[in-house]
Amino acid sequence: MADATFPLEVDARRLHGDAGADASDVALAMDEDAFRAFYDRTSGALWGYLSRISGDRQVADDLLQESYYRLLKSVVPFESEGHRRNYLYRIATNLVRDSKRGPRPLFDAGVEMADMPAPEGPVDAEGRADVRRAFGRLKPRERALLWLAYAHGSSHSEIADVLGLETGSIKLLLFRARRKLAATLQR
Amino acid sequence: MRPGNRPHETEPTDAEIEAIVAEAIAAEAALARVEAAPPSSAIVWWRAQMRARQEAAVAAERPITIVHALAIAAGAGLMLSVLGYAVAGVNLAAAYQSLASGAALASVDLTSRWVTLPITAMLVSAAVATVAAYFIYADE
Repeated sequence: MADATFPLEVDARRLHGDAGADASDVALAMDEDAFRAFYDRTSGALWGYLSRISGDRQVADDLLQESYYRLLKSVVPFESEGHRRNYLYRIATNLVRDSKRGPRPLFDAGVEMADMPAPEGPVDAEGRADVRRAFGRLKPRERALLWLAYAHGSSHSEIADVLGLETGSIKLLLFRARRKLAATLQR
Repeated sequence: MRPGNRPHETEPTDAEIEAIVAEAIAAEAALARVEAAPPSSAIVWWRAQMRARQEAAVAAERPITIVHALAIAAGAGLMLSVLGYAVAGVNLAAAYQSLASGAALASVDLTSRWVTLPITAMLVSAAVATVAAYFIYADE
């Protein structure tokens, strides 16, 4: 292990754009350019998914990095960008499921909603807090179902792929989750 | 109308429920887009590289750890055998002294643990040391 510090120096140079450095000796599933392009396209949406499913921004930060790392270490031959993205979301979903179940500050933080920058849309801060609390009362799988369907516009087969469910069961599960969320919102 | 038998008109339709849910989640998704501040792709890539290297280094060190454990076991076995041999030597010396005083050499019990234990330990340590030496010098 005499040259243990060498990769650190090489990576630091790569991080700062030194094209002369050669650090491509670690086998990952994608090359740097492809990964960075894929990450830039997907990381924001994945962070939103993780934060809303886990109910914790800190957990979302941690699991985001872990999700991409596991994707890079995977040996799955991806047929398309969509296939890769679904696989990434599946990893993220499993990580949320396996993560320690603790308090979910995001769903209980109605007060802080007023401090958040307001996005364009018809729902005011109080309404957003209600939505968040109602969302927090759902089971993680119900949150994932609804988020994938309505925030991402995923098809039933894509949702089934991400959540490891039968495609035929998605319609009914979505129906139940919708009614549960609507009932909580109207309460 | 019986209590609890509400008019059908007050129940939202599936389409209305879907509209309520879609609007709520769209608003939450818009907020999530504003909140999202993932680290840059360069940092994530760098961390992944570092972690992959660390894991590769740990995996590479694993056989060396096994060889070290074998070498330690061989050393311990060798020490045990030397100790046992020394004890057996003392016993033999005592037996020769007995011969001088007229006792038979057959009085030395070859099945005694003081004889079998060091011999077994020597054989085992020799075998382990051979394997350890093979692993150590195979790479070289």
